[in-house]
Amino acid sequence: MADMQNSNVEIMLKDIGMVYKTNDGHDVTALTGVSLDIQKGEFISLLGPSGCGKTTLLRIIADLLQPTSGEISIAGESPRDARLSKKYGIVFQSPVLYDWRTVKKNIMLPLEIMHIPKAEREDRAMKMLDIVGLTEFANHYPNQLSGGMQQRVGIARALAIQPQILLMDEPFSALDEFTKEKLHEDLLRIWAKTNKTIIFVTHNIQEAVFLSSRICVLSPHPGRLSAVIDVDLPRPRTMDIKDTPEFTAYVAKVRNSCEGI
Amino acid sequence: MSEKALKRKKIDFNSVSSVLYPVLFGILIFVLWECGVLNTVLKTDTNILPAPTRIAGIMSENSSKISENLSATMTVIIWGLIAGSFLGYMAAVFATRFPNFGKGALTVLSVFNAIPIVALAPVFNNWTKDVSSEASVRSTVAKILVVTVVCAASMSINAYRGLTELKPFSLDLMKSYAADNMTVFKKLRFHNSIPYIFTALKVSVPSSVITALVSEYFAEYRMGIGRQIRDNISIAQYSAGWAYIAVACLIGILMYIILIIFEGIFTKRHRK
Repeated sequence: MADMQNSNVEIMLKDIGMVYKTNDGHDVTALTGVSLDIQKGEFISLLGPSGCGKTTLLRIIADLLQPTSGEISIAGESPRDARLSKKYGIVFQSPVLYDWRTVKKNIMLPLEIMHIPKAEREDRAMKMLDIVGLTEFANHYPNQLSGGMQQRVGIARALAIQPQILLMDEPFSALDEFTKEKLHEDLLRIWAKTNKTIIFVTHNIQEAVFLSSRICVLSPHPGRLSAVIDVDLPRPRTMDIKDTPEFTAYVAKVRNSCEGI
Repeated sequence: MSEKALKRKKIDFNSVSSVLYPVLFGILIFVLWECGVLNTVLKTDTNILPAPTRIAGIMSENSSKISENLSATMTVIIWGLIAGSFLGYMAAVFATRFPNFGKGALTVLSVFNAIPIVALAPVFNNWTKDVSSEASVRSTVAKILVVTVVCAASMSINAYRGLTELKPFSLDLMKSYAADNMTVFKKLRFHNSIPYIFTALKVSVPSSVITALVSEYFAEYRMGIGRQIRDNISIAQYSAGWAYIAVACLIGILMYIILIIFEGIFTKRHRK
């Protein structure tokens, strides 16, 4: 029975804690006692104000940081093994595109590092460009694109390695509202198409409600998981859903759970 | 479309005017110089400051001697520049790979940059005593070494910045691909350092010219543009001295132009 329940768990976090040492020797607790099971194919948001440790938690899952306490397993593997076997695609706060590479070559970068044959690299890059709708910009350079287009290239690059898990660290926070809304719909479409597990860090309640199947609310000082809220809005979701009372109710519910933080 | 065309036109106009005005100013100076106005203003006779046409005349009369000295000087500049830039870049790579003692090594290198050429040149003359029985070879090696030191210092400091000042998250990105150090260097650090290489060269190309000229003053073997400037002026052959000064200026200007062209080609895609 227990096995049955666990079979769909992709990411298991058990009592994760993270303590930093500051330069003057003080201990700062960034995260404490975070336990969470994330199912395969879920869209999880880590929501909270700055300083709540949501990015720290994402970086711990990505094996870019080592927690000072607790256990993590990624489909039975350690985060390190999961990273080495390229299970993660990461989209950062900024697109982190290499200016000297064309859009297509930026997407091919991880594939080059993985020694994937050239023909397949090209093929996959073009497929990813199709998914994010930038086929005609394949041979442009990053600084010829708008911020939203650059971030879409970042998403395409993350998807190119065919990761099981897509980790997104406030990927749209630097974009204007119109571009952001467009990318929200794009992201949901990509998610539906590719069936990835997505962990999405944000400080925007509406964004979290619109995108997520589950929202993990984190609170600061020290960073901890203070609420987990299922979002049962129908899918596929479009912009119109934001005008429904159900959506507003969820936003209110999440906001309430953030209050007192 | 028309807006784009307009923008291009504007840029063209800017780049044309940025070349045109200095050239016009230069021509004006030459005209004043040729007419003797410059001599009056500077209170010098035409012996100490000969007219441009006279200098040009001497340059063409002595073209074979000039080209002999020119090739000696260019040998020193080019080899010193190549060796120094290469060593400087390698030092920067080393400092990037082993930041704990590499950074200290870079500080020491940058101290070399502060030592005057007049102090370095005799030291290297001494070091290279046993390199060859030929005085010309010994001197050339000593001069190349001085240029090497000067170029290595500026390259190492700039290249180190280019190798380490990366866009936020770009190392995280590489780590998420489990990329090894060599891959990070080839795919990221090297490309990121290219504009910094040119920043270094914009300092070290002119200073390699000056360093070569000055180190020729102290060389055991009498050869090179710098040496000719010194020797001609010391025997009051000002016209010949000016001919070599003109050649020295041309070397500096031409090398800088070539550098700027290469910079344009190689950093076209880098964000400025």
